[in-house]
Amino acid sequence: MLKPVLLGVCACAAVALALAAKSSEKAFPYAYDQYDLANGLRLITVPTDFPNVVAVHIVVHVGSRNEVEPGKSGFAHFFEHMMFRGTKRFPKEKYEAVLREAGAASNAYTADDRTVYHTTFSKEDLETILEMEADRFQNLDYSPEAFRTEALAVLGEYNKNAASPMMKLHERLRETAFDRHTYRHTTMGFLKDIQDMPNQYAYSRQFFDRYYRPEYTTIIVAGDVRPEEVRRLVEKHWGGWKRGAYEAKIPAEPPQRAPRSAHVEWHSPTLPWVWVAYKGPAYSDTERDQVALDLISFLGFSESSPLYKKLVLEEQSVDVLEASNPDQIDPYLFTVMARVKKVEDVPRIRDEILATLAAFRETPVAPERLEAVKNHLRYEFALRLDNSAAIADTLAHYVSLRRTPETVNRVYDLYRQVTARDVQEIARKYFVDSGRTIVTLSAGRPQ
Amino acid sequence: MRAAMWLPAALLLAGCSREGERMRVVEIPGASPLVTFRIVFLTGAASDPEGREGLANLTAAMLAQGGTRRMSYQQILDAMFPMATTVNSQVAKEMTTFSAVTHVDNLERFYTLFREMLLEPGWREEDLKRLRDQTVNFLRVTLRGNNEEELAKEVLYNEIYRGHPYGHHNAGTVAALERITTEDLKRFYAGHYTQSRLILGIAGGYPKEFAERLKRDFSRLPAGEPARADRPAPQPVQGIQVRLIEKQTRSVAYSIGFPIQVKRGDPDYLPLLVMQAYFGQHRTSGGRLFRRMRAERGLNYGDYAYIEYFPRGMFRFEPDPNLARPQQIFQIWIRPVEPETAHFALRLAFYELDKLIREGIPPAEFDQARRYLTKYVNLLIKTKDAELGYAIDSLYYGTPEYTRYVREGLEKLTVEQVNAAIRRHLRTRDLYVVAVTAKAGELAGRLLSDAPSPMRYNAPKPPEILEEDKIVAAWKLGLAPEWVQVIPVEQVFEK
Repeated sequence: MLKPVLLGVCACAAVALALAAKSSEKAFPYAYDQYDLANGLRLITVPTDFPNVVAVHIVVHVGSRNEVEPGKSGFAHFFEHMMFRGTKRFPKEKYEAVLREAGAASNAYTADDRTVYHTTFSKEDLETILEMEADRFQNLDYSPEAFRTEALAVLGEYNKNAASPMMKLHERLRETAFDRHTYRHTTMGFLKDIQDMPNQYAYSRQFFDRYYRPEYTTIIVAGDVRPEEVRRLVEKHWGGWKRGAYEAKIPAEPPQRAPRSAHVEWHSPTLPWVWVAYKGPAYSDTERDQVALDLISFLGFSESSPLYKKLVLEEQSVDVLEASNPDQIDPYLFTVMARVKKVEDVPRIRDEILATLAAFRETPVAPERLEAVKNHLRYEFALRLDNSAAIADTLAHYVSLRRTPETVNRVYDLYRQVTARDVQEIARKYFVDSGRTIVTLSAGRPQ
Repeated sequence: MRAAMWLPAALLLAGCSREGERMRVVEIPGASPLVTFRIVFLTGAASDPEGREGLANLTAAMLAQGGTRRMSYQQILDAMFPMATTVNSQVAKEMTTFSAVTHVDNLERFYTLFREMLLEPGWREEDLKRLRDQTVNFLRVTLRGNNEEELAKEVLYNEIYRGHPYGHHNAGTVAALERITTEDLKRFYAGHYTQSRLILGIAGGYPKEFAERLKRDFSRLPAGEPARADRPAPQPVQGIQVRLIEKQTRSVAYSIGFPIQVKRGDPDYLPLLVMQAYFGQHRTSGGRLFRRMRAERGLNYGDYAYIEYFPRGMFRFEPDPNLARPQQIFQIWIRPVEPETAHFALRLAFYELDKLIREGIPPAEFDQARRYLTKYVNLLIKTKDAELGYAIDSLYYGTPEYTRYVREGLEKLTVEQVNAAIRRHLRTRDLYVVAVTAKAGELAGRLLSDAPSPMRYNAPKPPEILEEDKIVAAWKLGLAPEWVQVIPVEQVFEK
C-alpha cells in the first residue's frame, strides 16, 4: 500500500540519481538531485535561481490515513504538534531561539497522506537547520505534562475551525461515503478523540517509534544550494537514523452498492450548501482515470464552464461553484460543491450538477474545450512555482504520493494525452448512482 | 530564471501625462517567465461617501470581476481561462490594488483584457447585482456567520474608528450596499481613478518598452486631484470598552486594541516592529504571548500582536502588501479559548501587556528579535509580486526599499529606544476589547464582577506558573458597567 517506502531504497550503497530536465518539455522545469541514504531516507535537492533563500520541506509519509485504531482519529495531526516540543539537546525554547536567530519562517501541516514540516531561511543557516531538524526527528523528547498541555492547543485548533460549516460538511461527507477506510474521518479527527488526546501519552511514543523513521521520510531542499553540499550535510546529520519495521494495514473500502445522502442542520444563519460526490480512483501517474476526472472538474465546474455561467453569472442562484478531485494514495472522492442563495433552490441545483455530470457520460467534450483546460493546467502550474518555498511545497504534495519529482512530469504528460473519448469513458466508469453521496447543509431543514 | 530578490531593484520612474499631472511607475525588471502587475489607485474605503459605505470596494469589484464595454464578464473569463490568469482587486482604506500574474507567453493577450478592464469598464446591471450579492454574503455569511476571529478583528477596527472615515468595514455595510447604483459607481470611478492617484507597478520578464506602453495607456485617465493625506484623529477611548458579539459558538474569540500614532517611516516604527517580533510575531511560536498563553498553558491555538492592519491573518503567514495607511492600531489577537477559561485568558493578555510596558524587553531578547527581523524581512519579499507590492508601499510611505529600511534602521537601534517607544505608545487602559461569544450576558457579568477566575490544568505545572496564575486570576480589569455592550451578531455590518 505505502508505495513510497518501498521505492528506490538500496541497502548496500547510497544511490544518486541526478536528473537534468529540459525546461521546454517537462512540466517541472528544474533539474533536481534525488539521493537515497542507506537507511532509507530520501533527499531531493532542487537548486533554483532565487538567490539566498532556502526552503526545507520534510515530508513524513504518514497522515490521518494511518489512523487505523479506534479512538485515535486526529493523532497524526496531534503528533505534528508534539514535534515542536523539543529534545534534550534542543529543548523547545532553544529550538525556537535557533529558528529566530535564523530569521526563519517555520511551520507544519498534516493531511490524509502526509505530514510536512517546512522551514524557509537564509542559505548560511542550512547546516544549523538540517542539524536541528535531524535531532528532533531522531531524539524527540517531551514530558507527559507537555503532552497534556499541547492536547489543549489541538482542541483550540478544532474550536477555531468549528466556526465554519465547511468542517462539518467535510466530516459528514466522509463518514457517509466511507465505511471502513480511514478516509472516513478528517485529519482533524472526531471531537471525542481530540478530547481524549491528553490521555494518550504512551500511544504517542509508539506513534513516533512507528512512523518517524527514515523509510517514511523524504527531505526536499529547494533554493540557493548545491546538491553535493546538501548531500554531505544530510549524510552527516541524518545518516545515523535507524530504519524501522512498521507498516500500517489500511483497511480497504468495500465497493459502495447504492447512492447515499446526509443532511447537516447548521446552528446559526448561513447559506445552504449542496455537495455531490462520487467514489473516484487513487492518484496515478500511469493510468488516465484520475487526470481525466481532474479535467472534468474544470470542464464542468470552473469559471469558464457552462454551468458556472448559468448558475453564477446568469441566474445568480449560486455564489460558489467548485469541483474538487484531490490526489490521494487510496481511492477517494470527486466532489462538486455549490453554495446556494435560497434554500428552496437546493434540489434544483443538485439536479443541475447531476445533469452536468451525466452529460459527460453521454456526449464527448468539444476538442477546443479540452485544449483550453489543458492549457489552463499547464500555465496554472508554471505560475505556481514563483519562489523556492512554493517549489518545495508543490513537490511535497507529489512526493507524498510517489516519492519523486518525476511523478509531476508523468502526470502532466498524462494530461496532454487524455482524449475526449477517455473523458467520456472515465465519466461512465465513475459517475454511477451506486458510487454517489450527496450531503446538504442549511440553517433549517431541507425542502 | 533570475529574481533580484535581495537587491533593492525597484526603479522608480515618474511619467508625465498629457495633462502634465504625474502618475508614478514602479518597475522591477527580471528574467522570470512570469510578469506581475500591481496597479494601485490611492483611494479606498476611507473615501466612501456617507451613506454609500462599500462604494470603493464595489467599484473595484466591478472592474476586476465585471464586463468591459466590449466584452461581458463571461467572455473575459473564457479568454482568461486558458492562460490560468485572474485579476484580483483589494480595497483598503487608502489604496485600491488590481493585481495579476501572467506567463510571458500570454502577456499580449492578457494585457489587452487587463487594460480594458481598468480603463473601459462596462458597468452592467447584472454584474452589479451579482457583486452586490457577493459582498453582502461575504459580510453576513463568510465573516459574520463563519469566521469568528476575523469578525472580532474587524469589529475592533470599526469600534476604534467609529465616526471616522475608517469606521466601516472595507466592504461596506449591508444597508449602504443596497443603496449603491451604477451612477454612484461611475461617479466614484471618474473622481478617484485618476492619474494623480495612480501607481503603476510591473515586475518580471516583460519587454523593455512595456512600462512606456503602460504609461501611455493609463494617461487616458483624467489628471484628477492628488489623494488627501490628512485624516482626523480617532475619538479618544475611555477606560476598557468591551464589545461582546453574541453568537452561537463553541468558544470565545478576542481582539484587543487601540490607535497608535506610528506608521512605517516614523521614528518609532522600527522600535515597535521589534516589540511586535518579541511580543507576538504573527503565526510563529517564538512570541511571548504565544509562549505564555498557548505553549505553557494550553489556552488556545495561538496569540499574536500587530502594529499594522493585517486582514486574513488566519489564512496567511505573511501580510498582503498595499494596505498602507497613515493611521494604524496596536492589536492583540487571542485565538478562540474555551468559555470556562475566557476570563482568565483575557486577564493573562492584560497581565502580559502590563509587564511589557513596565519592564520592557530584556536586552538579550532585544538582540535576538533584532537579528530575527534582520533576516526574516527578506522572506517577506520572496516573490516578485510581494517585492513589487512592498516597493509600492515604500513609495507611499516615503521610505527606502523595505528590507534595507528595516536592516539599516535596526543596526542603529538600542533596547532603550525600543522600551521608551513601548512606554510612549502602549497602554492597558483606554482601549477596546471585542469578544465573539455565546452567552454574552454571562461573560459580561463575570468580567464586570472582577471575581477571581482560577485556572485549572490537566497536568502538573511548575510552581512559578502557579504563583503567577494567582496574580493573573485576581487581575482587576475595573470595568464600569457603561463600558460593556452586548451586540447581537445579526446587527454587525448591517448599517
